[in-house]
Amino acid sequence: MKYQRSAERDMRPNRTILSRTLFLMIVCGIVAFIILVAKLYTIQIRDHEFYETQALDQQTNETKIPAFRGTIYDRNGNELAVSVTSYSVYLSPYELKYYGESADTVADVLSQTLGASRESVLKKTEDVSAWYKTIAVKIDSETAGKLREAKSENNLKSIHIENDTTRQYPYGSLACHAIGFVGTDGTGLEGIEALYDEYLTGVDGNVSRLAAGNGTEMLSGTYEQYIDAVDGSDLTLTIDAGVQRMTEKCVKQAIEDYDVQNGGCAIVMNVKTGAILALASFDNYDLNDYRSVSDEKQAELDKITDRDEYNAVLREAQLKQWRNMALSDTYEPGSVFKTITLAIGLDSGAIKTSDSFYCGGSMSVLGRNKPLNCWRHSGHGSQSLAQAAQHSCNVAFVNIGLRIGAETFYEYAEKFGLFNKTGVDLIGEAGSQWWSEDVFFNPENLSQLAAASFGQTFNITPIQLITAVSAAVNGGEMVKPYVVDTVTSPDGVVEYKKDSAPEYRVISEETSQAVCDILESVVADKEGTGKNAAVAGYRIGGKTGTSEKTGKSFENGEKEYIVSFCGIAPMDDPEIAVLVLLDTPSYSTGLYISGGNMAAPTVGNIFADILPYLGYEKTYTEEELAVIDVAVPDVTGMAASDAAAELKKAGLNAQIVGDGDTVADQLPPAGAEISAGQTVVLYTGARPDETQTVVPDLIGLTFEEAINTLERAGLYMMTADLYTGNEEAIIWKQSAQSGVTVDSGSVIEVALAENVDEGIE
Amino acid sequence: MPEKIDYFDRVSENREQKYHERSLRNYNSAGRQKRSAVDLPLVVLTLVILTIGVVMVLSASYARAYYTIGNPTNYFVRQAGFAVAGVAVMFLASRFRTGMYRRFAFIVLGISIVALILVLIPGIGTGKEETGAQRWIDLGFTTFQPSEIAKVGVILSFSALACIYKEKMKTFKYGVVPFGAILAVIVGLLVLEPHLSGSIIIIGVGGVLMFVGGTKTKWLAAIGGIALVAGIILIRFLGYAEDRIEIWRNPFSDPTGDGYQTIQSLYAIGSGGLLGLGFGQGRQKFLYLPEEHNDFIFSIVCEELGFVGAVFILFLFALLIIRGYWIALHARDRFGSLIATGITTLFAIQVFLNVAVVTNLFPCTGVSLPFFSYGGTALLIQMFEIGIILSVSREIPMKKIKENSIETERLSRGDVE
Repeated sequence: MKYQRSAERDMRPNRTILSRTLFLMIVCGIVAFIILVAKLYTIQIRDHEFYETQALDQQTNETKIPAFRGTIYDRNGNELAVSVTSYSVYLSPYELKYYGESADTVADVLSQTLGASRESVLKKTEDVSAWYKTIAVKIDSETAGKLREAKSENNLKSIHIENDTTRQYPYGSLACHAIGFVGTDGTGLEGIEALYDEYLTGVDGNVSRLAAGNGTEMLSGTYEQYIDAVDGSDLTLTIDAGVQRMTEKCVKQAIEDYDVQNGGCAIVMNVKTGAILALASFDNYDLNDYRSVSDEKQAELDKITDRDEYNAVLREAQLKQWRNMALSDTYEPGSVFKTITLAIGLDSGAIKTSDSFYCGGSMSVLGRNKPLNCWRHSGHGSQSLAQAAQHSCNVAFVNIGLRIGAETFYEYAEKFGLFNKTGVDLIGEAGSQWWSEDVFFNPENLSQLAAASFGQTFNITPIQLITAVSAAVNGGEMVKPYVVDTVTSPDGVVEYKKDSAPEYRVISEETSQAVCDILESVVADKEGTGKNAAVAGYRIGGKTGTSEKTGKSFENGEKEYIVSFCGIAPMDDPEIAVLVLLDTPSYSTGLYISGGNMAAPTVGNIFADILPYLGYEKTYTEEELAVIDVAVPDVTGMAASDAAAELKKAGLNAQIVGDGDTVADQLPPAGAEISAGQTVVLYTGARPDETQTVVPDLIGLTFEEAINTLERAGLYMMTADLYTGNEEAIIWKQSAQSGVTVDSGSVIEVALAENVDEGIE
Repeated sequence: MPEKIDYFDRVSENREQKYHERSLRNYNSAGRQKRSAVDLPLVVLTLVILTIGVVMVLSASYARAYYTIGNPTNYFVRQAGFAVAGVAVMFLASRFRTGMYRRFAFIVLGISIVALILVLIPGIGTGKEETGAQRWIDLGFTTFQPSEIAKVGVILSFSALACIYKEKMKTFKYGVVPFGAILAVIVGLLVLEPHLSGSIIIIGVGGVLMFVGGTKTKWLAAIGGIALVAGIILIRFLGYAEDRIEIWRNPFSDPTGDGYQTIQSLYAIGSGGLLGLGFGQGRQKFLYLPEEHNDFIFSIVCEELGFVGAVFILFLFALLIIRGYWIALHARDRFGSLIATGITTLFAIQVFLNVAVVTNLFPCTGVSLPFFSYGGTALLIQMFEIGIILSVSREIPMKKIKENSIETERLSRGDVE
């Protein structure tokens, strides 16, 4: 019993064990857990948000919802640039491997639906660690649909189709320099697209969905976040697609007609607001394919075998076609600038409209060692101020400049905005270059001032010139040229509206009126160098310019010129200014190289197109009525005498053929436009069979001579209202070439111009 | 030795007298002591924790099982099978008398050492490619870590030694040297694998058993101090595990490399918040968090069940551990008390280290969470260990035993004669 008890005792835990185990119980069972719970609290409660955000960031896959870029409209609401839904396709070689898909099948599907190169796809599939290999971008929905079908048919998970947007320009190359283009990433690179990128760009939305660590969709979980895309704002431009197209057509035609070597440009602007209606520059390009160069250039490129040279030439051609000549190139404006000299002279009081100027063919200028010659070496003799402008007499304008004085001249030049950029909302505007004040103001040497008076020895941009001329003719107030009229948010709120009010006064209204009168006479007067800009039915004013390109010449040593004309219409209340520049017309056309011969008719053409389009009423003078195009009335079925009377009313003569009483047929048919005064043949009997005739050579003939020549050939003539009765004008272009056989009674369109010699020193 | 009988001793004598008389009634006809029923609170706690653990394995593993194997319930089914087997093992282990564990203590230790040597032999031991450590022995149908057996071996042998040297534990020769020698062999072999976390756990458990067994605290303090100084020298001056320490201090310094696992664990725990994403709703298990159904399963628990759920599970573990010590405190003999303390401490250390690692309280090291982490043999061994504690609990003398129910109880328990 005793033994057993002691054995029992021996087996029982002793006091040390008890106390030490109790200690352990407290440490391991309580203290340790308090520490853990405290740590959990800091992570799960205190720092919960931080970890949750971080975790969600990695656990979610974001799918972009692309925002549509804002639409660019012309002033009439035509879409110039729109964004449409497109798709981009990418391949995940990682998933291809992960899902064990066949690279060959993938390559087949992609090459069959997208036309992708099979080899390049196969090459991309080899990089199995990659998640994202772009196969194609800007796929249309039809192609994307086909691919989607093929994808599900073959159960290909490695091919992904993403929504995207593509920029489209429905008018192609129209107004390309103003509109500009966007890069492949959708940001604007040129023109308004670049300058107004912030407005046009929307904010992409996205959908966040849970994804497993390998990128596939999570099996469970309900988290999803949807952020809608905010589309970009729409722009409404001042540009009028119609005016733009007409302007581009005329400038392009001029470049062709006068074999212009370095392209040309035209600006059509509202002189009262500064709104630019059209802005054309050549070379131009297709906005939908802005990297491609013209076919001729491409043919030239195709001959180059060296890769580096090819790229260099291509790059140069691209930069040239993207260059906006109207803004980015400066030139010596030449005689067009006399408009400004005139305005400064009159406004500063240096000259009066009643002043007269004598031109002996040359004059000496202080500080100039050679005498300064007028372009007409024999001199213009005594002339009124208006005549001096009509003649574009350099001697007279140097005298005006000297009377104004260098300081006043610069003061006004600055007011006319010629020292600073106009600030037009387009990309790439260049600044002007003028003599420094100490050179220009030097009383010992007036040659700078003298040359500046007729627009030489300083450089400005075309946009600066037309803006200055606008101020000179619009009543004397400076306007700021602009292209973007309104910015409208996708929900229709107007975010921005251009304030087109004039900025400040430059010259008085009276001066402006005087300038207008003189500019009108330059076109309307018999002696005017701008006669070729005349358009029947409209009062047009303007000033010619022919500027020598300093230091540039053709290979044969002949001088290169920029010919220009700035036209204004309608002169009773000037609203539209058109400036055309043609850089380096060639001598091959047989015309004198001058603004009056080349740029003035181009401006005339533009006016003839755009003024009726813009709704300006025609008012013909007596003189014009005798030569304008008239529509042949329908006189068939009438008594012969009534028919003749009807034609007489329309300004046409009648010749009755046959012995019937009523008109059975007529030639030309009703509706044909022909110049007034021509004879319409009325058949009272059976109309003879169609005959053919050979077009005679009309080049060099006057209006009357041409009509007579055509009448003999049984043909008719029209001038598209671009002939206003100038007897000095001769035909330089005919729509059907001489020697071509046409149906009798056909109408031949001709262009007349007076071969005006002017302006070149 | 003069008999000193004071009041306390007498009271104690009286108590022991009563206790002995009562215990005498607990002897069966064969003269062997009759055993009590297993400790119900411990059994319930174990089963509750085990059930939650197995269910969490389902939630944590199904994503990876789906993506890598194709069968989302692959791990769950295996783990559930092992859990059922584990319950059987637990009750089986509870049936053996503690004396038997004492008899087998050194045999288990011997087996452990052999296994630890075997695992080092190429071809027998296997390891994970990324760590390069050789820790597993493939038995064909399953794999197991010899270190798991070594833990049991150390606990049993240390408890046995502490009984053998009961009176001499305060001496250096008996209280420190034999224990130190065993630890040196075991830890030495573990370091060769290498298996840092296993070494720490075994040193911890061994140290605790020495402490409870009666080794003088000054020796332990001295050894602990030396270990601490050695550790500091290793880390601070020799740059050992410097990367690991750096990542521990700032896991975001290498978010895709060494810090990845810790960061992913913190994401999981942190995004759980107060109430969690809901059972099965976790996201980090979708191939973000590595080891999500093994060492990092508690991160998924935190993510899905939130702070509330995590604290509840820790509370269950705390109860389990406290109950384990309670059994140790009430154990009938010294050996039973020591093994109960050792096993309970083992669980405590593992739970603490595991949660400390997943919360980045400690530098990252591979410690599994008992009853939760996926792993069949480990679970079986854990259940076996609980069984040992239960065995100890069964030897706690019954306080109230109705005379007339003894037979019935015996029969119903099917007590081993």
